[in-house]
Amino acid sequence: MASKGKSRWAETEEDAELAARQKREKEEKKRMKAEKARRQQEALEAQKAKEATAATQEDGDDGRPVKRRRLSPEASATNGTGEAASNTAPKLLRFNGGGFGKCRSVENYDKLNDIEEGAYGWVARAKELATGKIVALKRLKIDPKDRSGLPVTGLREIQILRDCDHRNVVKLKEVVVGEDTRKIENIFLALEFVEHDLKSILEDMPEPFLASEVKTLLLQLASGVSYLHDHWILHRDLKTSNLLLNNRGQLKIADFGMARYVGDPPPPKLTQLVVTLWYRAPELLLGASRYGAAIDMWSIGCIFGELLTREPLLQGKNEVDELGLIFDLCGVPNEDSWPGFRRLPNARSLRLPSGKDARTAGSAIRVRFPLLTTAGVSLLNGLLALDPEKRPTAKEMLAHEYFRQDPKPKQEAMFPTFPSKAGQERRRRRETPNAPMRGGAAEIGAVDFSGIFTGREREEKGGGFALRMV
Amino acid sequence: MRSHTYLQDIIFYTTQCLTQSAGLLLQLPQSVTAQANVLLARFWLIEPMLSYEFSDTSAATLYLTAKLSSHPVSVRDICNAYTYLWSDSSPLFRRQPSPQQQPPEPTAYTPTDSQKTSFHNRLLSLEARILYTLGFDTHVALPHPLAITYLQALEFFNHSKSEIGSLTIKYLNTALLSPQMLYLTHQPNALAVAAVYNAARDLGAKMPDTSWWEVFDCDREELGFLVVGMRSLEGWVGKMREDGKGVWEEGMVRRKDVEGEMTRRGLLRGNGDKAVDEEEEMARLMDERMATMEAQS
Ligand SMILES: Nc1ncnc2c1ncn2[C@@H]1O[C@H](COP(=O)(O)OP(=O)(O)OP(=O)(O)O)[C@@H](O)[C@H]1O
Ligand SMILES: [Mg+2]
Repeated sequence: MASKGKSRWAETEEDAELAARQKREKEEKKRMKAEKARRQQEALEAQKAKEATAATQEDGDDGRPVKRRRLSPEASATNGTGEAASNTAPKLLRFNGGGFGKCRSVENYDKLNDIEEGAYGWVARAKELATGKIVALKRLKIDPKDRSGLPVTGLREIQILRDCDHRNVVKLKEVVVGEDTRKIENIFLALEFVEHDLKSILEDMPEPFLASEVKTLLLQLASGVSYLHDHWILHRDLKTSNLLLNNRGQLKIADFGMARYVGDPPPPKLTQLVVTLWYRAPELLLGASRYGAAIDMWSIGCIFGELLTREPLLQGKNEVDELGLIFDLCGVPNEDSWPGFRRLPNARSLRLPSGKDARTAGSAIRVRFPLLTTAGVSLLNGLLALDPEKRPTAKEMLAHEYFRQDPKPKQEAMFPTFPSKAGQERRRRRETPNAPMRGGAAEIGAVDFSGIFTGREREEKGGGFALRMV
Repeated sequence: MRSHTYLQDIIFYTTQCLTQSAGLLLQLPQSVTAQANVLLARFWLIEPMLSYEFSDTSAATLYLTAKLSSHPVSVRDICNAYTYLWSDSSPLFRRQPSPQQQPPEPTAYTPTDSQKTSFHNRLLSLEARILYTLGFDTHVALPHPLAITYLQALEFFNHSKSEIGSLTIKYLNTALLSPQMLYLTHQPNALAVAAVYNAARDLGAKMPDTSWWEVFDCDREELGFLVVGMRSLEGWVGKMREDGKGVWEEGMVRRKDVEGEMTRRGLLRGNGDKAVDEEEEMARLMDERMATMEAQS
């Protein structure tokens, strides 16, 4: 081959050498880091083994385990990375308290690429050095100016994820902290890595999901939510960007930043500042402070609609607008369809159509989803029932006729695969309303919805809607 | 012969009592305070007791568990409660004031602004430290609800269940204070069984003839151990009170008391927070200290 004249794009030898050297250095650095992590891991295991044997050997003669705490701080000051491992077997820590141990350092991971970065959070794909396993690292949002300490939302997210074990709930592998452990400023959740989130898939897919695929997704969602509700956990922020999907067609519920445990009976006062606006149930919009699992079921209804059309179902601009869209789609509440709704704080001053007009103003779901089967409409109608009492539970949803009818739910393994954005490139920022923000609860005030159906085609003309309901 | 963990046990017990008292002052449900007790015990398994002031550690665990519960408390309230319990006005571990004594001035137990700020800073840094040390594992399963369920399932022929129930709960709450750390060594079901057993026996209630504890996944050996463990605390406390009068009449044990003693004996160097010698040695010397105290009393 004829030697080409050097273009200014061709690499010079020095360039090549420089590149090669940089590559060597980088690899060397990586190797060192991996080696360090490996050694820490070994030390940790050795320590555990030692403690375990010590614990058995140290049983006193009366058969009681000798339990001794350490009284004085360590002789050597804390030394940052991998402290848990490098402070090797504290001499008198012979008692194994059942697996409590200090957090490891984030240095045990190598960041590969950002998945999501924005005002609200940071999630990156990363590799565990010691094992090569891929995880998603999510950094807890910590406001150093917040004088109430670490955010309760983040702590709840960790606690709840730790307690959960279900195939449709994302797994928390461990919590790791930033390098400097004298001040805990950076806290990361190492989560099982899942290739996609439903929101990104929906945005990019040229064709909507098939009916059989929608069923599989909904079944998995309901199964995960049923697990959560069985364990007294409300998610309180179900939406497509918080639902992950792996390449084997498995759906995983993620983002427990709003979640919490609720007992039975539920705590008397829960915040209404939950659930992203477009997925927020009407009782929340009307200011209910006592609410329950049904708020998650409402969100599932919204997700159902979104899976069918690839578009969020109820894209309100603000609380009042959202409520208007809801009444428009699901009908106007009255004492029959939703007994007692008038007593909700924000409902008192609502002006709603009544009488004959209210009777014609039923659910428009049938019209909005002309291709959905009757069973599908019945499920969606149920999930989007205004009265929370009338919505099915997750368990009831799993048993719904819709899932038994043809087309049958598609096998997960037969799911199409999608190019994973999380696996490669940085995400776009999207413009969905953000998760509920701190601050005062929305005051809806006096709002007149009495004219909300004037635009509806199927409505009889001439109805004056300006009737006040008492 | 006395155990060489003597002083550690006292610190453990008194600090757990402090947490309970603060929980009462702050009107927290016992379930929240009990969880704080368990978190504190876990923390001290890993972090040396002398790393932080005992009352700060107590305050931070209580603040943290309350924050995660449906009964959060403000830093201000926690600060007031602990300042009071820590002050000379606190009745905790003190002789009953004589009737002639003047009641303390409120200023004696009201924190100043700088005390508040400093408390606040310590609380927040300790909160993070505790979480880090526990690997963010804040989950505590308490035996109390289980015990109630077991009681309902059992048949005591000659006794009211409510009486047995309240004594059962008392046993469970007392066990939280025990330096034996029964809540860390045993599962909630076993603790519940042992507490029911003790309560029923105390009241002379007739228990089923079968090995009923096995139904609740607790074997005889474990039950035996726990029955003794739960009963021994009272005796231990009584003995402590007799032995170390100083400790029980001068308010909460403070870190500087312990450190001062250790420095005096050349165990702590210069800045007063670096141990130079083996724990073993230290523990021995502290026992000596207690022995001296005993001799003086
Ligand atoms: N385990 C994971 N694997 C892959 N990607 C993930 C994983 N967890 C989260 N992501 C991606 O990061 C995005 C944001 O994560 P997540 O919803 O948990 O946090 P967040 O939105 O910042 O929290 P919040 O909703 O409380 O503001 C998700 O939409 C998803 O695209
Ligand atoms: Mg999210």
